[in-house]
Amino acid sequence: MSLLETRGLTKEFGGLVAVDDVDLDIQEDERVSVIGPNGAGKSTLINLITRMLDPTDGDIRFKGETITDLDPYDVVQMGVSKSFQTASIFPELTVEDNARIAALAAEHGSFKFNFLRHQNHYSEVAELTQETLDSVGLLGQRDTTAADLPYGDKRRLELGIALASGPDLLLMDEPTAGMSPEETQATVELIEQVKEEHGLTILLVEHDMEIVFNVSDRIVVLNRGGIIARGTPDEVQGDPRVQEAYLGGVEL
Amino acid sequence: MTDSTADPPAEEGGAFVEPGKLPVWSWFGSDERSLVGITTLAVVLFPWLLVRAPVVSSVLDGYQSLTSLILIWGIFALGFNLLLGYVGMLSFGHAVFWGGAAYAAGIFSAQVNGSPILVVLFGTLIAVALSLVLGVITLRRSGIYFSILTLAFGQMFYHIAQAPLSGLTNGTNGFTDVDVGNLFGFLDLFGPTESIPLSTPLPVIGDWMYLFVGTFTVLTVVAITRILHSPYGLVFKAIRENEQRAEFVGLNVWRYKLMAFVLSGVFAGVAGSLFVVQGGYVPLESLNWTTSGEVVMMAVLGGAGSMVGPMLGAGIYIYVENVIAGYGAIQPYWHIILGLIFVVVVVVFPDGIWGIPGTVREKLSDSSAEERGGEN
Repeated sequence: MSLLETRGLTKEFGGLVAVDDVDLDIQEDERVSVIGPNGAGKSTLINLITRMLDPTDGDIRFKGETITDLDPYDVVQMGVSKSFQTASIFPELTVEDNARIAALAAEHGSFKFNFLRHQNHYSEVAELTQETLDSVGLLGQRDTTAADLPYGDKRRLELGIALASGPDLLLMDEPTAGMSPEETQATVELIEQVKEEHGLTILLVEHDMEIVFNVSDRIVVLNRGGIIARGTPDEVQGDPRVQEAYLGGVEL
Repeated sequence: MTDSTADPPAEEGGAFVEPGKLPVWSWFGSDERSLVGITTLAVVLFPWLLVRAPVVSSVLDGYQSLTSLILIWGIFALGFNLLLGYVGMLSFGHAVFWGGAAYAAGIFSAQVNGSPILVVLFGTLIAVALSLVLGVITLRRSGIYFSILTLAFGQMFYHIAQAPLSGLTNGTNGFTDVDVGNLFGFLDLFGPTESIPLSTPLPVIGDWMYLFVGTFTVLTVVAITRILHSPYGLVFKAIRENEQRAEFVGLNVWRYKLMAFVLSGVFAGVAGSLFVVQGGYVPLESLNWTTSGEVVMMAVLGGAGSMVGPMLGAGIYIYVENVIAGYGAIQPYWHIILGLIFVVVVVVFPDGIWGIPGTVREKLSDSSAEERGGEN
């Protein structure tokens, strides 16, 4: 059974079809990348899966259950976590509190009636917070205000927040956007490392070809909202339709 | 080793305490214990400072009933600040909970029972019910639209109390039949503490009313501190910082916002009820938008996002309104004076009066950093 599957997934904005009849299957433990030229519908696809957007048509199933009518926080609670394209963190909170808030949501569910209970009573939240910071290498900066972190570290924290939710499926929206080559390299290593540590299935949306071909088991190519090719990195690289649509016919 | 299977003892305030055998006091963190002590001390000394201390009190020109009034508005502002300072939501309709509780408390005292504790309890319950209903409706929108919705509903309640319900509320004249009895059946709240010779532990306090209100003040500070130390404290700040991200770590943001709204309604209700117990009268103005505006000013003036700020803001506001405004020549201008103070504080010290030391320190370190930068 696929961990995530979409059937006939469609999203229209007015007259524009941003995602057009997409069937996607992601197996457990896989690393799948979605690539495509600007405006191909990659981010819209991610936003549909996280339930930030309502699909016009089609179905999304996670672990065999349909999630099409769930709220975003329910989808996260089921085990789908998203790492945002821009570092979406809690700027005025400390690094530790940034991770703690995600750990809290993972341990307590979407809502709990515990407003008179001291945080110190939740040692499992503290443990998860510590583990998460350790795995993204930010334990040393735990008391730093998140806004004061350098950009690369903010993105690490962003990934940490996504990881602390304890996901089975991690959606990553351009994790290396705006990064220097060194930071990009560090991020690729970090992705590899957390995948091993947390046993994650990863769906990656990315522009950087190098990362895509290094990190992915399978690649799905979107163009104008529809899937035009899918397969291993080698298959996709050699596909003439892909070169036409995405690589502009230039030989890699 | 048989005991190796036992749960490890929980760590509490640096000491190991066996689970299930926690002493009552350890329910508080060590920082909370000192906070309770400091708050109690401040509450006890406040009337002495304002009314009876040599030199200081004559300069300040305070009087006894002012002390209770300041604490009552302080409770209101503290509860309001839970919403504004921590969740970052600006409600312009908190008069509904203050005034709703005030009317409920007043009518309850006249028609059901005059026990001060029951009166406060009933008023608070009504405020909780009102905040639940209003929260469910207004929290469908956020930002400015939320503020405007709360304002609109607030004015709706004002006009309903003014005319359609005037049989119950006595309309524009305000509800005058308030009949609050003695505390526990025998303590006249307006009597001076010396009135009962057996129990004059704290003659500095002045009257039983102040002790009554002061007790609620300490309880309010304890409760709000605990809420901020609970997971809710962190969730509220997370929502303030980045609502979308809070949703996408798996939190039901809407429900937490509703809880924040209702919790702040609880304290508005306690304060509104106490206002009636203390004043013996429910003015129609208690439901008007001016009341909502006053509590916003108090929180912002003193410093939203801190525990002391709103209380300080309430103190300054009520003091100017009742003492400074009483000086003949100043009387017509007291709103202008307060407005000027407000504008200066907001422009120069965005963290409020309580935040002035922090703002000054920041500005100094910024300018010294600039100087260093200039030398390079």
